[in-house]
Amino acid sequence: MIERQNQRQRILIITLVIICILLVTVYSRESKDGLFHRLQRFSMDIISPLQKGMSKVFSPVKDGIGFVVDMGKARGERDRLQEEVDELEEKINELEEAERENEDLKSMIAVQESNPDIDFLVVDVIGANPDIWERTIQIGAGYSSGLQEYMAILSEDGNLVGRIILCTSQASIVQLITDEKSSVGAMLQENGEMGIVEGEGGDSVRLELLNQDADVKMGDVVITSGMGGTCPPGIPIGIITEIGERKADLSIGILIEPEARLTRLEKVMVVVSPPPSTSPLEAEAGEKGG
Amino acid sequence: MHRRLTFFLILIVTLLVQLTVSPEIGIGSVRPDVILVVTLCWALLEGAGQGALFGFFGGLLEGIFSTAVLGVGAFSKTILGYFCGELRQRVVSKSVIWPMIIIFFGSILSELIKFSAWAIVGLEERPPLSFGIIVGFALYNAVITLLVYPVISRFAEREEKAMMFQ
Repeated sequence: MIERQNQRQRILIITLVIICILLVTVYSRESKDGLFHRLQRFSMDIISPLQKGMSKVFSPVKDGIGFVVDMGKARGERDRLQEEVDELEEKINELEEAERENEDLKSMIAVQESNPDIDFLVVDVIGANPDIWERTIQIGAGYSSGLQEYMAILSEDGNLVGRIILCTSQASIVQLITDEKSSVGAMLQENGEMGIVEGEGGDSVRLELLNQDADVKMGDVVITSGMGGTCPPGIPIGIITEIGERKADLSIGILIEPEARLTRLEKVMVVVSPPPSTSPLEAEAGEKGG
Repeated sequence: MHRRLTFFLILIVTLLVQLTVSPEIGIGSVRPDVILVVTLCWALLEGAGQGALFGFFGGLLEGIFSTAVLGVGAFSKTILGYFCGELRQRVVSKSVIWPMIIIFFGSILSELIKFSAWAIVGLEERPPLSFGIIVGFALYNAVITLLVYPVISRFAEREEKAMMFQ
């Protein structure tokens, strides 16, 4: 029984396959106006109104599928654009960095040109002292690069930053002019009145004039005097921003805002020549002498 | 008689769904072949002979209502319907996963048979063979099997009950 059924099925499949092959052969041989082609056109005419109706019924479904597909595409596009934006932002940062470096180098060259008697060494700032009570920075060069203690440090635009107080072979510690222990020989650019600039521990420094009756006014520029031998003369220190009342000891409290951006130093210029004429012991002894 | 009527009704409804609904639920260029899915489900439930017959008439009607080379669809669906029906004796599980897997691979075979037939008859304007589209098509067919197989199996069960009653 099963064997007969299987045989019938085999005959059936062979017959159907032969019919299919005949259909394909006839269809592919006949012209566009042949029987089967005309039958197809006729059938399509019958079914097309139904297809149109169904198309309208299913348009929300179609839109929904389209929306989902587009969402997938939009996500891919968003990710691609985000990557592109990140890359471009990175490039912009690099360019800005390069531009800033270029500006810094230009100002350093200008400083060098305006001080032909002084030799500078440009050094990177590699860190700052974590102790909030000490105003010092660390620079990436030491005595192996020719640096020594008490050398003056200038900012990229040629303003006084401080001096080296500790030198190792590869790094040095720079005491900023705002440090409470710092003192530098200074004078007023306008009239040459001499004084000492001392750190206050904050963002400004104080000027103590030797002549208490000196003519001093707001906005006067204070420069190094060269006294003490650690700083060459004529380096800008800052501008007078506040002149206080005369005290009992007849001194005047004069505050100076440093010209150097001491909180944003990336590179500094070390005055390697002329070298500091004060030996460490002498400087220590006359620390308040600049 | 009852059996033939069920067969005919399922065939007509499937054809209508294929001609009207299937183009509307396409994802990109991938559209499900409902006739192929129903053919293979029918073959798995009813056997090789029924599968071959459903595939033949389904493919033939689909060819008549389209501009495809007449007989190619019928050819591939007849062969696949027959061999799927032969698988019925080997698949014991009633899970819908097996039909899904069979329909996934059956869909890939169906397209390969179509491309071969087109090449043999020398069809000039053949679409480029894209395995990505074929796999997408097979996946879509496998997914709609989840909906189609339970419906077809219900008809097949009713058919069996009716025969038992007689």
